[in-house]
Amino acid sequence: MSIIADEKTRVVIIGGVPGVNAAKRMAEFCYLASLQCHVTAFVYPPDAGKTAEIPYGSQFLAVPIYKSVKEATDHHPETNTALIYIGANRAYAASMEALENPNIKFVSMITEGVPEKDAKLLIKNSKRLGKILNGPSSIGVFSAGKCRLGVIGGEYTNLKLSKLYRPGSFGVITKSGGLSNEIMWLVSQFADGVTTTIGVGGDAYPVTDFITYLDLFEKDPETKAVIIVGEMGGDLEDKAAEWYAAKPRRIKLIGVVSGYCQEKLPKGMKFGHAGAKEGLHGEGSARAKSDKLIKAGAIVPPTFGDLGPTIKQLYEDLKSAGQIKPIEDVPFSQLPDLPRKVEEVIGKGEVMVQPLFKTTISDDRGDEPLYCGYPASDLINKGYDISHVIGILWNKKLPTDKEAEVIKRIIMLSADHGPCVSGALGTIIAACAGIGLSQSVAAGLIMIGPRFGGAVTDASKWFHYGLVNYPNDIPGFLEYMKKNVGPVPGIGHRVKSLRNPDKRVAELKKCVKDLGLRSPHLDYALAVEAVTTAKKDTLILNVDGCIACVLTDMGFAADSLNGFFILARTIGMIGHWIDQNREGSRLIRMYNYLVNFATPARREVPERKK
Amino acid sequence: MGKVLEGPGMELFNKWGIYTPHHTVISTVDQLESLVHSNRWMRESKMVVKAHEALGSRMKLGLVKIDLDIDGVGKAAKEMLGRDVNGLIISQVIISEMIPHKEEYYLAVTSTREGAQILMAQFGGIEVESNWEKVKRISVEVGDKPSDESLEKLAKDAGFKGDMVEKMKKFASRLFECYDNEDGTYMEINPLTINPADGKLCALDAVILLDNDARFRHPDWNFSFASEFGRAYTEDEKAILEIDSRVKGSVKLIEIPGGEVALLPAGGGASVFYSDAVVNLGGTLANYAEYSGDPPAWAVEALTDKVCSLPGIKHIIVGGAIANFTDVKATFTGIIAAFRKAKSEGKLEGVKIWVRRGGPNEAVGLEFMRRLADEGFDIHVFDRYTPLTDIVKFALKGEGN
Repeated sequence: MSIIADEKTRVVIIGGVPGVNAAKRMAEFCYLASLQCHVTAFVYPPDAGKTAEIPYGSQFLAVPIYKSVKEATDHHPETNTALIYIGANRAYAASMEALENPNIKFVSMITEGVPEKDAKLLIKNSKRLGKILNGPSSIGVFSAGKCRLGVIGGEYTNLKLSKLYRPGSFGVITKSGGLSNEIMWLVSQFADGVTTTIGVGGDAYPVTDFITYLDLFEKDPETKAVIIVGEMGGDLEDKAAEWYAAKPRRIKLIGVVSGYCQEKLPKGMKFGHAGAKEGLHGEGSARAKSDKLIKAGAIVPPTFGDLGPTIKQLYEDLKSAGQIKPIEDVPFSQLPDLPRKVEEVIGKGEVMVQPLFKTTISDDRGDEPLYCGYPASDLINKGYDISHVIGILWNKKLPTDKEAEVIKRIIMLSADHGPCVSGALGTIIAACAGIGLSQSVAAGLIMIGPRFGGAVTDASKWFHYGLVNYPNDIPGFLEYMKKNVGPVPGIGHRVKSLRNPDKRVAELKKCVKDLGLRSPHLDYALAVEAVTTAKKDTLILNVDGCIACVLTDMGFAADSLNGFFILARTIGMIGHWIDQNREGSRLIRMYNYLVNFATPARREVPERKK
Repeated sequence: MGKVLEGPGMELFNKWGIYTPHHTVISTVDQLESLVHSNRWMRESKMVVKAHEALGSRMKLGLVKIDLDIDGVGKAAKEMLGRDVNGLIISQVIISEMIPHKEEYYLAVTSTREGAQILMAQFGGIEVESNWEKVKRISVEVGDKPSDESLEKLAKDAGFKGDMVEKMKKFASRLFECYDNEDGTYMEINPLTINPADGKLCALDAVILLDNDARFRHPDWNFSFASEFGRAYTEDEKAILEIDSRVKGSVKLIEIPGGEVALLPAGGGASVFYSDAVVNLGGTLANYAEYSGDPPAWAVEALTDKVCSLPGIKHIIVGGAIANFTDVKATFTGIIAAFRKAKSEGKLEGVKIWVRRGGPNEAVGLEFMRRLADEGFDIHVFDRYTPLTDIVKFALKGEGN
């Protein structure tokens, strides 16, 4: 048996993330002990209507979240226990909501920093309602092999090491959370483990005192002895001693109280727990409490260090008296492990997982991104700039400074071409309709294609084809294009001509020549231009064609080249969106007179055909 | 709990209609002339000057001067301000109107598990301690208020007669309101007296402890709490208090000058057993400290930094039980970072470090600690199989090396 919590306990947890984390620990225990998960519901109004995902072995339980305890118990009437995992300012109200719920019989509160007055009101109200409220500041309750309420017991391996998957013969009551775990470990090493362990919390006024639990332990035949870990301050230990002395008790009692150091330290010093403080007139000292326990017949080891051997002695005595039968334990290696996460197992080289895809350019698994192996910060510190990053990520090699200069100029030249072109117009119409930045820019980017800004890749492809197949035969190349492709991509402009040259093209050509870069594709395209402009003077090498040749000469693959236009023009589109947004532009509409309504005149709608 | 100094304490009393002498808190004598100009009581009555700091035995230290005129006030304040009392620089003095009086009474409200007790006595001042059994008391259940009848009986039982019964009743009722509404944990007026000028009861002193945890519902608490152990907080203690107030979990530090064993244990419960073990084996504590509730590594690092800076230490006890949810690896990472820094600053010369811990990620955390030996630390690391406080024994008895 056990007290307070057992296999049938069903729990609602009041609180957000900390509550969910506790539920995960509770489910780990249930998995170890082959029990159904005890948590039926959460109460957390901000997430009401959703479910929380709780791993149970290799499965995931979806535990519903409600807005009130009543709603939770209406849906899960078997719920009989509530855990409070909510902030100190709301803990009182949450506790009262749980205490007043007819289904809830036991409440445990982990919340720390609850005002003393609230705790006292909870003492009064829980008594009135005939229910037990454990805490505040309680680590929880652990009934070995049956139920875990809260994170008490720590991580999974510790549950196995401390044999918490099956009941022993010792009850434990502590104020401290960390020590509750330590005692469970001691009892598993020096004796046969625990029945139930309860952390009552280290506040000045724990709502439930030691006696309440001692009474329950006394009535639990499986519990043969109880260990209480107390500290100076308050009178819970004194009351426990009085309880033990009041009449013959079935259970043996071991008590250990901290705070002897107080005799040598400044009066009024504050220790870790709010309640760990002697009274103004010296009452509640460790020595006074220990003396009372000894007088009451409890076993009190002289120091905490003597606790282990004391437990062992009592265990042996109880065994000799036939009160405790030794437990055959499952070997540690046969206890189930938690399913391991894929990352862990792969790390150890135990399984192979077929990757979904591979990447050859970028890795951010370390402390900073590596671009083709180069740390981003090192690139910055060594004076590289955005052109080099483009070269690395798009072409996997660091451009030379001359090449980087050309890349920079291409981006600068292509960044924007006014509000009227398809891309900018798309962005502006979206911006005027109140659409956000990323969607508006996307609306503009959608325009980039075969007719708008998307000729760079094709120009590269066909000039390269000409250079390879018709190196010294421009007319032959043009003949091929006319027959098989159509107009040469990269040749021709709507308004620019030989006499009215495109300044951007002139600039780029000059730059490549001045820097002395190798330019076979550019030279070939210029030879083509010489032939085409002889036929018609607008058939010049346009900016797309020029960019295509320059980048191809640098070694960029054809399929990446539209990227330069997309990247550059994104700068302009972002600018247009910001501009429209700042200027508070309104929804716009095409003017009727800009549309030729070549539709049939108004006419009668015929009856629907049967 | 939090102690409120006299100045803000009296303001709190005044808020609830508890009559106190006129008073003002100053941090420089430059303001004195203007204050006298503005406050008639400073011109018309004798005054008392006290150091406005969390210090015990102020009288013995000469930090209370009575029966002063304004020149005397200036002189006393000048003497006190800036004075170094065991490392604490006095930064404020409180000047209050001196109430000439004969009678001294005692009134207090204390906290009990059930609610509160109101304590009353006709013997005030220093006589109260020696007549403790004559102090009368009534209990008030939490959520209730003392009834008129019970207060009347209390006053009469305490020996008050005539119109004093009614006066004490009212005063006690107000003190209770103040205690109850302000989340008090202890309030004491000693002495309480009759101001002969107007025949009204007047609180000459205010000992006020409030519940720091209730701060969230008292936005008007515009004061910070003073230490409760007879001296002010040191700079390092204040720094840790400040960190403690804003992190998840907790970090705590109290310095004890002259000790040789520094504590850096985890857990509010275990830390006291470590303190006990040191004292029990005849060691001297250099501090009390603890961290718990899975605090961030940087907070533990800051705490470790302060612990390493304690003068004259020979051992550091990095103890702890088997944690429930405090990550051993993460918190140890913070401790190790501070150890390395301290060592590079030459602070850990001749200091032995003793580690015992369990909990989430214990294997990795302890391994990190063990490796510090390779860096020249005098470190001794133990796991859950070594009982909790044995490292203190190893440290003080030279075992387990």
